[in-house]
Amino acid sequence: MAKPAKKLVIVTEKILLKKIAKIIEEAGATGYTVMETGGKGSRNVRSSGQPNVSDTQANVKFEVLTSDRDMAESIADEVAVKFFLDFAGVIYICDAEVLYGHSFCGPEGC
Amino acid sequence: MDFLFLFLKDFVIQLQSPTLGFLIGGMIIAALGSELVIPEAICTLIIFMLLTKIGLTGGIAIRNSNLLDMVLPMIFAIIVGVIIVFIARYTLAKLPKVKTVDAIATGGLFGAVSGSTMAAALTLLETQKIGYEAWAAALYPFMDIPALVTAIVVANIYLNKKKRGTASDATMQESYSKQPVAAGDYPSTRQEYRSQQQDTKDHRVKIWPIIQESLRGPALSAMLLGLALGILTKPESVYESFYNPLFRGLLSILMLVMGMEAWSRLGELRKVAQWYVAYSVVAPFVHGLIAFGLGMIAHYVTGFSLGGVVILAVIAASSSDISGPPTLRAGIPSANPSAYIGASTAIGTPVAIGLCIPFFIGLAQAIGGR
Repeated sequence: MAKPAKKLVIVTEKILLKKIAKIIEEAGATGYTVMETGGKGSRNVRSSGQPNVSDTQANVKFEVLTSDRDMAESIADEVAVKFFLDFAGVIYICDAEVLYGHSFCGPEGC
Repeated sequence: MDFLFLFLKDFVIQLQSPTLGFLIGGMIIAALGSELVIPEAICTLIIFMLLTKIGLTGGIAIRNSNLLDMVLPMIFAIIVGVIIVFIARYTLAKLPKVKTVDAIATGGLFGAVSGSTMAAALTLLETQKIGYEAWAAALYPFMDIPALVTAIVVANIYLNKKKRGTASDATMQESYSKQPVAAGDYPSTRQEYRSQQQDTKDHRVKIWPIIQESLRGPALSAMLLGLALGILTKPESVYESFYNPLFRGLLSILMLVMGMEAWSRLGELRKVAQWYVAYSVVAPFVHGLIAFGLGMIAHYVTGFSLGGVVILAVIAASSSDISGPPTLRAGIPSANPSAYIGASTAIGTPVAIGLCIPFFIGLAQAIGGR
């Protein structure tokens, strides 16, 4: 029985990792996945392949599954208003269906 | 004349030293578009090992030295760290096309200390057989932290002032331009983001978190750990067999990576005002000379060794490239990282390592009358 869910994706600078994780937790999401990424956005190319000693170049990508759109939007709003004036970032949302996930509860409850 | 000769002699020796050789080599192969990549994890490990070694060296030697001698150089280190930020605030920031916030952040980065530059200076002092106090490396945090704290505080005071100035204008404009938006709609333009931000953000800068963040930075925490272990435990066996023999080899790898990074950042620097280039070349010398002068005062008052004076001058000339950038990026988010990290990594660090270290060693040798 697949549970419908929203997948919120946040791609932004690695320095914000802890702060964004905190926002996601406080919003009540049951979990999130983070991976290191690189790529090109509106500001400049920030790829993980460049020689780098201070780690200010790397990007991270958060994926958060939420059971309703409201929670996803509240996370997105808070992150965007807090950080996206000064830091590179993009946020998008997709539909997902959770097939297996112990702690994940869909709209109908667990 | 004599001094110039010494400097040139030193400079040639320095050019042939592995430290600078690898730095320039890294720049050259990056310029040629080499595909060579040193994994990031290795750089992280190298930084840990270098600074732990420096800390251990200091810690082992501190056990049998008089710490009262440290007070005056320590005070001078703090003074230099703070002054450097204000120099940038009232020189670089006044130049055309330079944003004040970017200038303050650049000052903070140049005031902060580069662990790798310090490692290079210590290596060269040992090669030249110039004696220095074992605790001289421990001056690092006393310059590093005040500079970063000052930069972040000054920048935020400036931003708050500016915001109060514009806020009164903004409310006037807003009443005209505000269109009704549906509830729960996203801020769609930068202006809307900004107005939302202004409501949420009227913060006084808290100094303690900045200090905490600096102390937790990878370079400084490794060095402080080394210091503590050197003082409290007996790490001589592992020091002799592992940290000390590997030190120079690891430093050469780090220099190679820094050279490569310096080249890749040069392109970024081209996008910001040209004045950063002038500042990055001149500033290391100015900052180093201020510290050298203060160091000489300590030399005459408390017998601070000339080698120690050179270290004080070099850490003033250096600009942070490991733990400083993330701290400033978080502390002054509106400053443009291309400007300050570009200025520091692409020009400041090579100038400090390649020109300032031999210059100050030559100066010390000329004064010492050798």
